[in-house]
Amino acid sequence: MPGVSSDSARGALVPLSPESPGAVVYPLRHGLKSPISRLSISWSRGNSLRVSVFAAPSSDGSVNDGDGGKVVEVKLGGGDGEISEAHWRRIAYGSVSPFALLQSRKNAVSTLSKMSMNSSPYDGDWWDYIMEYSKDINALLVNQKSASVPVLDDTKSVITKGEEPTSLKAAWELLEMFYAEKPSHSWLPERLVDWLADYDSLFSGTHPTVHSKLVDFQKEFVNLQVVEDDPKYWEVMSSALAVGWLNIVVKMLRLHGSYQLDQLSNRETENGLVEAVAVLISKMPRMRLEQEAGKLGECYKAKPDFVKAWEKWRGQINKLDSSAFWFQCAHQQTREGLRSMLQIMLGNANSLCSATYNWIELYISHFLYMRPLTVGLESMYSLAQKSIQLKPMASAHRLMGLIIGILGENTEVVLAECLKGFGPWMVAHAIELLTAGSDHAEMLLHEERQNLGGISIEELHRLVYAQVLSSFPLTWQIAPIYLISCMKHGMILLQILLSKQPVQDNQLLLKSIEICRLYELHSVTSNIMKIAGVHHWKHGRKGSGVFWLQQARDEYRLNRIALQLFDSVGKTISDESFKQWEGLIQLLGSDSKTAGGLEFLHKYRDFKKSLRQIHDGKATDPARQAVESLISLMKNPSTPQRFWLPLLYDSLKLLNWKERPLLNVSQTNLLLNKLQELSMARLRPDFIESELPPQALNSVRLALGTNLGRAILEE
Amino acid sequence: MAFAESQNPLRVYRIPQSRYIDAVRWLSPVSPSDRFAAIAYFDADTNSPSIEIAYVDPNPQSSSPTLTPQSSWTSHSRISSLRTAHSTPQPLLAAATFSGSLHILASDLINGGVMESEATVSQLGFHSGPVSAVDLREGGTECVSVGEDGRVNLVSFVGDSSKLNYRRIFDSNGLVGYTAVKWASPSEFATGGYGFGIQWWDQRTPGGPVLQFKGNWCQGKTSGIVHSIDIHPSRKHTCLAGGSSGTIFAWDRRAAQQPIVLSGAGTGEASNSLLSESEVWEVQYDRYTRRSNIGNISSTRILPVMICSEDGILAVIEQGEEPLELLAEPCAINSFDIDRQNPSNVICSLEWESLAILTRS
Repeated sequence: MPGVSSDSARGALVPLSPESPGAVVYPLRHGLKSPISRLSISWSRGNSLRVSVFAAPSSDGSVNDGDGGKVVEVKLGGGDGEISEAHWRRIAYGSVSPFALLQSRKNAVSTLSKMSMNSSPYDGDWWDYIMEYSKDINALLVNQKSASVPVLDDTKSVITKGEEPTSLKAAWELLEMFYAEKPSHSWLPERLVDWLADYDSLFSGTHPTVHSKLVDFQKEFVNLQVVEDDPKYWEVMSSALAVGWLNIVVKMLRLHGSYQLDQLSNRETENGLVEAVAVLISKMPRMRLEQEAGKLGECYKAKPDFVKAWEKWRGQINKLDSSAFWFQCAHQQTREGLRSMLQIMLGNANSLCSATYNWIELYISHFLYMRPLTVGLESMYSLAQKSIQLKPMASAHRLMGLIIGILGENTEVVLAECLKGFGPWMVAHAIELLTAGSDHAEMLLHEERQNLGGISIEELHRLVYAQVLSSFPLTWQIAPIYLISCMKHGMILLQILLSKQPVQDNQLLLKSIEICRLYELHSVTSNIMKIAGVHHWKHGRKGSGVFWLQQARDEYRLNRIALQLFDSVGKTISDESFKQWEGLIQLLGSDSKTAGGLEFLHKYRDFKKSLRQIHDGKATDPARQAVESLISLMKNPSTPQRFWLPLLYDSLKLLNWKERPLLNVSQTNLLLNKLQELSMARLRPDFIESELPPQALNSVRLALGTNLGRAILEE
Repeated sequence: MAFAESQNPLRVYRIPQSRYIDAVRWLSPVSPSDRFAAIAYFDADTNSPSIEIAYVDPNPQSSSPTLTPQSSWTSHSRISSLRTAHSTPQPLLAAATFSGSLHILASDLINGGVMESEATVSQLGFHSGPVSAVDLREGGTECVSVGEDGRVNLVSFVGDSSKLNYRRIFDSNGLVGYTAVKWASPSEFATGGYGFGIQWWDQRTPGGPVLQFKGNWCQGKTSGIVHSIDIHPSRKHTCLAGGSSGTIFAWDRRAAQQPIVLSGAGTGEASNSLLSESEVWEVQYDRYTRRSNIGNISSTRILPVMICSEDGILAVIEQGEEPLELLAEPCAINSFDIDRQNPSNVICSLEWESLAILTRS
């Protein structure tokens, strides 16, 4: 049998020998001692598999512990480790409102642009909407667990840790800067510098990074007496300088031993050089819109100003580099360290390459020191290709793939990287940014494709995400938001989703019905009400069953269950059980349309009530009421035939009323006709005999006859 | 619809829980500054339901309240209804489950909120199917439970017997299902069910409900289910009920079969503004009032009511006035509780696995 290995007796399930070399075998513990005879595998909630393992019955017929079977739930894919299931759900919940808001704004914009033909749909507030959406989503991605607080005292801690960054947030910020902040394209290099400063640590897991070197150094740093003697001090500073972490570099420079008061006098020149470099670093011209308060560097918005400042700054570096003071600096490490930092600032390609640890860091250092005026994705892309050639890597981090896709302006690659690296949530929400400003991407993603069954790529990814949401019991309720944004298949899938929801629990059922109400899916509503009604009925909750079938206005099933109810009515409506029935009859109400065949119960209750009031055989008014009820019951076509005789038998004392006949001639004739009809019906094979004494029919006939005679006399 | 205006400042804190919340209740505090809440969780990742006592720190330095779990009790089935009795320092909790059992828990708030299961009823035949609602009598020696199976059970717990005994007050054999229950006095309680019906029970008159409020008052319109009942200790003649289609109504037992509709189905006239069109999951009399004395409010007038609904609304309704919306969430508010000692505090559970704590001042 496939799936069962020969050593299954040892208690482990192992799949057949894998044909593809990359397959990994995970043994599955099921705890069964006896050999396995049968396996059944089915999908459970979410991405769990339910594996049912059946043991072979033991040959000697004895029953042992561990016989029978076991059901094991296997969770496939342990998430991405970075973000827990609960955090993913929190992101999913939080993204509902921004997504829904953006969709409704999109719809409003497109109706507006249809009305005024010539105006472009995407201007004015459009970018604000996109940006608001992106910021709302971004805010959800903040990692809840705060990172460890640095134990070092502040003067010695070179890197401060805030929240622990996640790749997901890093990826979203990349998309945001390239697609949502369209007008700021000329600042992109500087935005990337900032981005790397926030997220360089993410690459530490798979690649050496400046961040990881800094962290390593900080650990040793505490025990160092003379920092400038340690080559790592200079190495790490050069690296931090190369990726533009100016504050960290200046802070580290000022930890140089020559700053100490007792050494200042005899290391004056050395200290002067260190300070000169620190000042030059803090004066570095940056071409950017704004600078965060406290960050070093001087920022220029206009290109000519920047170029002027840049030339001047480089001139100062060159001047320092060629100054005679270096010969007076006795400390060799300081001299070499500082001069190599100057080389980085001058944009020496070799220095940059050796100071950085992966291609992104190299790429960023090129922006900072070699080509600060890089504009346009094309040149950014070619620079990235060059960096990759200089620092090739065996395996690419998922963020690196995304960056290449974005720079290469290849929407398909970006989507594929999003899906591969970050899952369906990312794709479904990132598409909004991708299509925001690019007509090309919009055409590509909105075009209906034959190979996708006539839907667009956008719809495909929304449907995929909605499917993921639907498979979890806690998130299925937000799937409809995404489904209704899918023009082609959304509505149908929504109906299927709602029809599949469990009906056992009222609260869940009502939540489904509420969603049906919102999207005006009346037929689905009545379907799930019917399912719920039948479910409750089958489980003995007759009241609940009748209620839901009434709500669904399901005449057919109400009539069917009415027949079953009558069976128990015939036996159990005694005075004792009357209170039990009372509630159900009240629930049925007097509205016969919603009561179906159960209308009979209502009248029957009235009849029984009046009958009970005339125990003594004297009260004439209740007796008259009872007659009224009897006649209307007998006239009513909904009264089942098999109740005719019991009804008449119950009414014997009305028919034999002492004082005077209660039924007039025509009423008596009606009852006699019914009795005749009944006698005829008894000949048919499908007639159900009521549980009455055998003389019942005769005594009724006799009473009716007597009553007829008395009535004729009276008239 | 009026929102909480600026003169009535309202602070709302949402605290994500990463677990689904089936029910939430305040516990009566030991000292005036303490706040404890009992929360019934369902962890969907591990499929495990539990009840936790949490210390709610209303004003830590971070300016938003924090929940510190004190103790936890693992249930074998999800909690369908949770009630607390206001006795100190050992508040009692009654928790009913979807598997038809009832658990009485006691929590010692002085000694770290340790929660112990005092007693359990889970015999076959106690309820068939889920217990839909439970209520603890004030003072906490008796508990009434109802279900859609049509059973009304009375559970008494005096002393420390680990197995509780229950008394079947009524069994409709499923012909009538009950979805809500609330004590009115030591011997009387009210139940609610399908078709907006309410039943009034008196233990001194056994054999069935003493009074029935006909469920079919909203004829022709969609009928619904009563999800929650509240009875004010000073107005025992009036049952307040909330249910389907945004319906909030009161039944004055003295006024026979005519309901006083505060909102929702069957209103007919435009004078009653429709607060919500979806399920009203819980109703409670709002004891937080700016008026000095509720005694001044005429006895025929309905006292202010707080409700929460499937469409994410938490609001206060006063008869004949515009409802005051406290919260409008993008997801359902499934339950809430008003702090007895300090009614300005409200805790509510949101569908999207989080709690919200409101402070009115």
